[in-house]
Amino acid sequence: MDTVHFVIDKPQRWDSQFDPEMTEAEVKRLMEIRPFSEMDQGKFSKRTPLTGILLNDARIRRFKNGEIIVRAGDYGSSAFLLLSGHARVVLNPGLPAKVLGRRKSQNKTLFQIVAQLWTNPRDPEVRTTEELDDSSAFQPVGRRMGVFLQDVPRILDEHNTATMSPGDFFGEIAALSRAARTSTIFAVGDETELLEIRWQGLRDLMRFDDHLRHHIDRIYRERTLATHLREVPIFRRLDDQQLKRVIEQTQFGTYGDYEWSGDYKRLAREGTRSPEKETIIAQEGDYPNGVVLIRSGFARLSQKFGHGHRTLNYLGAGCEFGLREIAHNWTRKDSVPFQHSLRVIGYTHVIIVPTAVMEDIVLPSVPREELPEPFTPEELGGATNSATQLKLDAGAKIGPQLMEFLTENRFFNGRSTMVIDLERCTRCDDCVRACASSNENNPRFLRHGQINGRIMVANSCMHCADPVCLIGCPTGAIHRGEIGGEVVVNQATCVGCSICANNCPYEAIRMVEIRDDEGAFMVDKDMRPIAKATKCDLCSDQIGGPACERSCPHGAMRRMDMNNLDAFARWLNR
Amino acid sequence: MRGFLRRRILWTSLLGAASVTLVSVFTLWEGATTRAAYLTGWLLFGVMVLLTGYNWFKKIPYLPLGRSEVWLEFHLYAGVFTGLLFLLHVRGRWPTGWFEILLAGLYAVVMGSGILGIIISRGWPKRLTARGGEVPFERIPLVRRALCEQAEALALKSVAELKSATIAEFYARRLQSFFAGPQNFLSHLVEVRLPLNELLNDLNDLNRFLNESERKVSAQLVELVRKKDGLDYQHALQLTLRLWLFIHIPITYSLMLWSIAHVVLVYGFSAGAR
Repeated sequence: MDTVHFVIDKPQRWDSQFDPEMTEAEVKRLMEIRPFSEMDQGKFSKRTPLTGILLNDARIRRFKNGEIIVRAGDYGSSAFLLLSGHARVVLNPGLPAKVLGRRKSQNKTLFQIVAQLWTNPRDPEVRTTEELDDSSAFQPVGRRMGVFLQDVPRILDEHNTATMSPGDFFGEIAALSRAARTSTIFAVGDETELLEIRWQGLRDLMRFDDHLRHHIDRIYRERTLATHLREVPIFRRLDDQQLKRVIEQTQFGTYGDYEWSGDYKRLAREGTRSPEKETIIAQEGDYPNGVVLIRSGFARLSQKFGHGHRTLNYLGAGCEFGLREIAHNWTRKDSVPFQHSLRVIGYTHVIIVPTAVMEDIVLPSVPREELPEPFTPEELGGATNSATQLKLDAGAKIGPQLMEFLTENRFFNGRSTMVIDLERCTRCDDCVRACASSNENNPRFLRHGQINGRIMVANSCMHCADPVCLIGCPTGAIHRGEIGGEVVVNQATCVGCSICANNCPYEAIRMVEIRDDEGAFMVDKDMRPIAKATKCDLCSDQIGGPACERSCPHGAMRRMDMNNLDAFARWLNR
Repeated sequence: MRGFLRRRILWTSLLGAASVTLVSVFTLWEGATTRAAYLTGWLLFGVMVLLTGYNWFKKIPYLPLGRSEVWLEFHLYAGVFTGLLFLLHVRGRWPTGWFEILLAGLYAVVMGSGILGIIISRGWPKRLTARGGEVPFERIPLVRRALCEQAEALALKSVAELKSATIAEFYARRLQSFFAGPQNFLSHLVEVRLPLNELLNDLNDLNRFLNESERKVSAQLVELVRKKDGLDYQHALQLTLRLWLFIHIPITYSLMLWSIAHVVLVYGFSAGAR
């Protein structure tokens, strides 16, 4: 049989510039501006020279007065350096959503949805030329249709803002931690010029330039800490002076491995996952030397049980550990040790406010009735049925075995985990067919996965809170959706390197060989097939949401946020 | 109140209200006209069209038409409602003539297969889960082949390494056909373990004629037999959970076609009737 091949170039890193309009002349200009003028080019590798990073991973953007540069809540994977002009950052509380001019995500029209009846290709993994055309992918909507704040003077009057000047970096927190933007920043004046650096470039700049790394580290910590502490109820009553004193004495801790998935996969293969092997942040029975605030990643909350440890819960970003013990000791002049252990699962970044700071500055500012309840003698004697203990013990709600299962397999990372109730599932595969129908006849998950009791967690993208698949993508093809934060792959810029698929600890990303409209495999000049990463995108372009969930006739499947175990427990006991 | 119970109460209330309304309207209509059967007939046909539409709904999951779970619940309770409609339509009498018998027979098969379907759909997943050894249906032949190859290798190994044909002969006589394909389909459906126990007993009896090394091989075969039996169990139940639809759906379409013919005939021969 004759096979017709569609020959294209095999994509390489920097094949697709962040901005095709970025020129050598602009790079030359940037090289004369701090901090680039002070960077030692000799420290950069030959494959990724400083000028190459600026040419390929950065772009210059100009904003008009009042135009939003970044919006709170958006997911972005780039940082900004203010080159000229000024910008203002809106401090908490932020601007209302209406003022921010949020747009709906790009859903298919009703006609396009109906047209899937006859437009779905017969062959698997077909990509149209429009899908692979990167010209549209590299022209973000924000550039063509900038979002402007209306009545800037009134906003400046009604909201707390801070001015940013040339040389200031921002957006690096979201870019590096793969988190939502925490603040809205808009341009002031019509001559605001910024350098936008996608996170792959920022990562390389930090790797090769110590000064920039320390600089970003410092501002990252300052801004993160002030913002984060303000959001924690116990610190809300502190005035600026007190907060500054707290910040000065606060410690940081990063535990585990930033790219933890490789280590996890190895342990899973060896079958050696166990709490005892995890790094301990705070140990049960030790003196409580500070309140631990989890900034990113996850930690396991466990308690001694027999000769092992029983998982009570997992704590994610925004959770605290040790406050109750410290408050108890402060109010009762007692010396109760930590009642639980806190262990790293994967990667955890924590902020530790020392006990002395808590006792001298923080706790006196909080009314007694707002402090955590002191431990009762029964609790200290080991009773596990107190109201506080039960609230903490998620295992009591969903069952200790399921709790261990979710923790051991790190399913807590999922914000849209596909869980299947096997006692309701008739194995009809309607979900798989619905997924295929909604994705050009390509199912994006396997109705197969880890099982515990009657619950199966299927091999489908969980759209993780900590999406390790984003780490290492050379072109930023895998990214967070702008509004929902779902993890999606831009088919135009995916180079088929498999890094995301290898990073994903849940086997939820597949590499497929793509075809053209006629069904022929696309190949590069060396006749090697072109591969692309594919995964569930939560049917983000469909109107009704994930087709798999809607199509289950027996209500056996749900996409669950594994950080909302109360909802999970309600679903289990429905 | 738990979700499932709340929904059952809601749907049952709706069904009850619809049934009472229907019977009341039918009683009034029957006293007022000789064409009461037209009302129940068209209503029955309309509901049947909606019920058939559920199959089409499942083919277009990308249309924002709500959750399939809710549509299935509607399908179930509306299906029960057609039972009442059918009884009113035929006025509770047995069908006469081949056409009526055919229509009533098709309706009975559709209704019966539907009831069977919902019973097994609600009950058998629990059995599959409790038994364990979950294998996706499409992968069952692959797993079966792997088990068969392992068993065959054990039997051959016993001849080559242990210089004894006892196990190999037993394998050829008793196990080869067991591993070759799905077995004991009906026994699995009705949860009878007699065939497995007989096979295990035979293997146990065989141990009397085996030496220590052969018994180790026999123990491995027992393990494989148990795995194969579990796989057959998965196959039997999963296949039936799919197969009942191959009765329910085609007969439904057949019923719809004959119902259309029924409507045509009724109007064709009703000229002048009042």
